Amino acid sequence: MPNIKLFASLRKVTGTKELSITGASAGEVISELVKRHPDLAAHLLENGQIRPHVIITINGHPATDMDTLVTEQDQIAIFPPIAGGQGEYL
Amino acid sequence: MKGWNGKVLEIDLTTQTHKSYPLDMQMAQQFVGGRGLGARLLWDLVGPDVDPLSPENVLIITNGPLTGTGYQTSNRFSVTTKSPLTGTVLDANSGGFWGMQFKKTGYDVLIVRGKSQKPVWLEIKNSELTFHDASELWGMRVYALTEKLGQNNNKRNVLCIGPAGENLSRIAAIMNDRERAAARGGPGAVMGSKNLKAIVVEGSQRPEIDDKERFKFMLYETRKLLAASPLTSQALPEFGTVVLMNIMNNIGALATRNHQQTQFEGAEAISGEELTEKYLVKNAACWACPIGCTRISKTDKVEGEGPEFETTWAFGAQCGVDNLPAIIEVNSLCNDLGLDTISAGSTIACAMELSEKGYLDSDLRFGRADLLARCVEDMAYRRDLGAEMADGSLRLATKYGHPELSMSAKGMEFPAYDPRGMQGQGLLYATSNRGGCHMRGNMVGLEVLGLPKLIDRFQVQGKSSFVILHQNVSAAIDSLVVCKFTNMGVADEYFARVLSAVTGIQYSTGDMTRVGERVWNLERLYNLREGFTAKDDTLPARLLQDAPTVGPSKGWVVKLEPMLKEYYRGRGWDEYGVPKPEKLEALGLANL
Repeated sequence: MPNIKLFASLRKVTGTKELSITGASAGEVISELVKRHPDLAAHLLENGQIRPHVIITINGHPATDMDTLVTEQDQIAIFPPIAGGQGEYL
Repeated sequence: MKGWNGKVLEIDLTTQTHKSYPLDMQMAQQFVGGRGLGARLLWDLVGPDVDPLSPENVLIITNGPLTGTGYQTSNRFSVTTKSPLTGTVLDANSGGFWGMQFKKTGYDVLIVRGKSQKPVWLEIKNSELTFHDASELWGMRVYALTEKLGQNNNKRNVLCIGPAGENLSRIAAIMNDRERAAARGGPGAVMGSKNLKAIVVEGSQRPEIDDKERFKFMLYETRKLLAASPLTSQALPEFGTVVLMNIMNNIGALATRNHQQTQFEGAEAISGEELTEKYLVKNAACWACPIGCTRISKTDKVEGEGPEFETTWAFGAQCGVDNLPAIIEVNSLCNDLGLDTISAGSTIACAMELSEKGYLDSDLRFGRADLLARCVEDMAYRRDLGAEMADGSLRLATKYGHPELSMSAKGMEFPAYDPRGMQGQGLLYATSNRGGCHMRGNMVGLEVLGLPKLIDRFQVQGKSSFVILHQNVSAAIDSLVVCKFTNMGVADEYFARVLSAVTGIQYSTGDMTRVGERVWNLERLYNLREGFTAKDDTLPARLLQDAPTVGPSKGWVVKLEPMLKEYYRGRGWDEYGVPKPEKLEALGLANL
């Protein structure tokens, strides 16, 4: 089970900083995480996809492909959107 | 033309005289205000023969056409001078209330020349200037002095130096409104060298706005834009700038122990999350700012503003310290003494490495939180080793035979971002006109946060174009002068529309980045005239040769040379980093 680290407002939503979740890919892990903590959906997902500007890293590198396979040695870090919106409403 | 007051106040401290004259409006239109206008004035006033701490150096304080209008974050002012730390052109800007109040006195620019025989403080009340004897105030710390001189956020505002500036520390800040700072590059020492302790402003003149209806709508629109951005509406108000600590650590770009590592095992203990949970009292905001990123924090010993991310990093990860209360307390002490927290923390880290390696005989060691306050006091009063540390890490490391241990560019200490994990940040540091600085462009947005889109932080080819664009935008925003955080929610081209509404001059799309490019090239010309060359566009050997052995940035160094070549080409400069005549012609700088 990959190790998941949560940051900023995600800690308040889940009540935890760190947890382990089963999943073969990054996408599966996120899905399982949201199942376990449904309130996270509003923070992480938009139309079933990862919200723009949510930062997800696998071992410190950006998780640009949710099909990336993960193992129990991997660490997934999730940060809520802390940037974005520039020019999108003009 | 509206927006600007159209007036300059020039003071000669040597003769205790002053004069007021019209602002050159052609110059104002070309350089707008703040950093740009300051650099243009400095070009005429301070040449290469001038020692930064001599009476011949000047202190130029500028606001901009938006200042005091009520536009979001239009509270800032800029200080321009020749830096005693780097010898380069310097501007440092600051928020709070003072800039807005200075604009209300009826001036756009304050130029301070010469040196007073005795300590003096200045009071500007609605265009009227009074010189006051400051003999009894000399030696006072910032908090007590600010209160004594009658600080009242919306009515009367105090700008001053603390003991660090009086003692000519080359990393001394100018403080305003108690805890805001024009910090970097040693402007406090320039003020101290002039025997000028404080400038108090009180005014009632509102800047005129050309198209009030359009401007009113823009206030509404900007409020919506800032509310729509997660950074300006949620992350900054909730966690402050320190929210970056865990992010930078996670990706392996958090400079640690004087840049010996790129991850800090104690990052969580000094993070924004920790600060919010255990030490936050409340949020606060500068004048006309809906973001409110200021944190009022409290320990058993102190309560006050901050610490910001860079400060928390400088006394934290960079010094190997994971004691957040100690960092909060040393931040407060730096503000009270008037010291730049980034340079102070990084200079202590440099001394720690020199000591651990046996080059310097001192008890400083990484992780010694208990020594931070003593070091800072010693720097401000030039006591013991503090006398050497007061002039920054490069002079300290050079004295002890190891200049390569100063983590600086052009003599100014870097902020938190280790460029081995962010190639664009490395180019940004190397080419910054005031030295190692993160406020000369925002590569963290692009390379880490995905603002507006995420780019590969290890990419080298093509990176220079992003750096150039962000340097130009940053110079434009500094010339307005507004807070860079607004640009996290408001696109830079939007500012052209605001500027048009306020001034009545039509600034079009592209004009703001053109202003920024003009300012950047002017600053470059200034540094070239001072004797800087392409050889100074570099980084410490550690960042160019020593790759981290663990973490996400493992194996990476800054690949500066190819980026720099591309950068010079992209800037329209020759291979020696000198702007080509056609570039200067295009920017309206050919006559300099």
